[in-house]
Amino acid sequence: MMAMMTMTDIETPCGEVPFTGNARDALGRFLAEYSAWLWGCGATCVRIDKNVGRIAMTYGYRADVAVMPRHVTVCLSDESGSVQTYTQRVVRAGINFDLNTELSALSWSIRDGKLSLDDAEKRFRTIVGQPYVDNFHILWLTSLANASFCRLFGGDAAAMGVVFIATAAGYFLKQRFLRGKMDIRVVFYLCAFISASLASGCGLFGWGTTPGVAVATSVLYLIPGVPYINAASDMLACHYLCSFSRFADAVVLTASLSLGLLTSITVMNNCL
Amino acid sequence: MTDDSIISWSVFFDDALFSAMAAIGFSSISHTPRRAYILCAVAAAAGHSLRFLLTMPGGLEMNIIAAATIAAFIVGIIAVFVAKVIRVPAEACLFPALLPMIPGLYACRAFEGFVGCLSNLDETLFSHNLYLFVSNGMTCGAIVIGMAIGANIPIFLMKKISFQVTR
Repeated sequence: MMAMMTMTDIETPCGEVPFTGNARDALGRFLAEYSAWLWGCGATCVRIDKNVGRIAMTYGYRADVAVMPRHVTVCLSDESGSVQTYTQRVVRAGINFDLNTELSALSWSIRDGKLSLDDAEKRFRTIVGQPYVDNFHILWLTSLANASFCRLFGGDAAAMGVVFIATAAGYFLKQRFLRGKMDIRVVFYLCAFISASLASGCGLFGWGTTPGVAVATSVLYLIPGVPYINAASDMLACHYLCSFSRFADAVVLTASLSLGLLTSITVMNNCL
Repeated sequence: MTDDSIISWSVFFDDALFSAMAAIGFSSISHTPRRAYILCAVAAAAGHSLRFLLTMPGGLEMNIIAAATIAAFIVGIIAVFVAKVIRVPAEACLFPALLPMIPGLYACRAFEGFVGCLSNLDETLFSHNLYLFVSNGMTCGAIVIGMAIGANIPIFLMKKISFQVTR
């Protein structure tokens, strides 16, 4: 949903490609939406600032971006002091570096004069319109990654095998639940519970010698690592609000999955 | 070569191999461009095995926070140059390569300690759980901040490469 606030209506053409009236609004709206998608796909605030500033500069404007927990605000100003503010609700696109790469390349295409604003907007729609691919190869690579994690924490072959299966089941359900628009915190709780319960098989049936490692590492695929690193990166760049927002999101998800893990441990201990 | 050193090197290569595999998985879950998978794995293997060497008993026995910061710095340098070769933003290589070093177990243990505090009102048990919550939480936070500092230094030192690779 787009909300636009106009602080002043003075339109002064500037730069090589002047924008007035609706065209300037079109640029502002485009930049706000562009920022919202970049934020949503997991770009750091520094990258959002740089990409948006680059596009605005191409058209003779200066852009200041304020990233808030639920929306992004872009202030477009020109040399005459005319300022317009555009706000866009953030897009929850999931961590997607492919999208980040394509959106960054788009900003350079605009900067190098290869695209008009209309063409840039069309290309932007194509990029963000691509379906979120969550297919089989991601499922098995994630399971392999978590099994490797189990090994890194000292798990034996039996624990690795069980963690592989527990992760595959948990991640498969996560894909299905998220597709069904279930609340992400509930999804993390349920997936952690299911993965940890399956991983308890090591202890229940006496497979291998490291059942504790299997249970503990079975939920690590759910740890929101990129938001944690992004939060720290934003903090270093003095984007404290955005940093805190990302950190709070990551802590809530970590709490959800830890609760799922604890529930599973309690239930399984009672079974034993 | 002694038996001990053979065991240490085999553990070292084990660490590099499995952290590389973990990085490929995390690259896929983060939807990193596929051309970056292998190079993310190389960066992760270098970083994780360096951290292993720095913290290894009998070696430097460095504190895990300092070791993670140094390892992240090396991963950051590799990621910036790799990003230039395959033309993706530096973070697209950097973050999946750092993920195997994210202290996920510390975060979970901190939360377990928190829940333990709430469910045990006995003073001794409460103090023990509070200790678990605070020590794991602080270690987890310090490692993540250290990693972010270490990984971001190369990005800011080589801004021209980091932010122009997709041009």
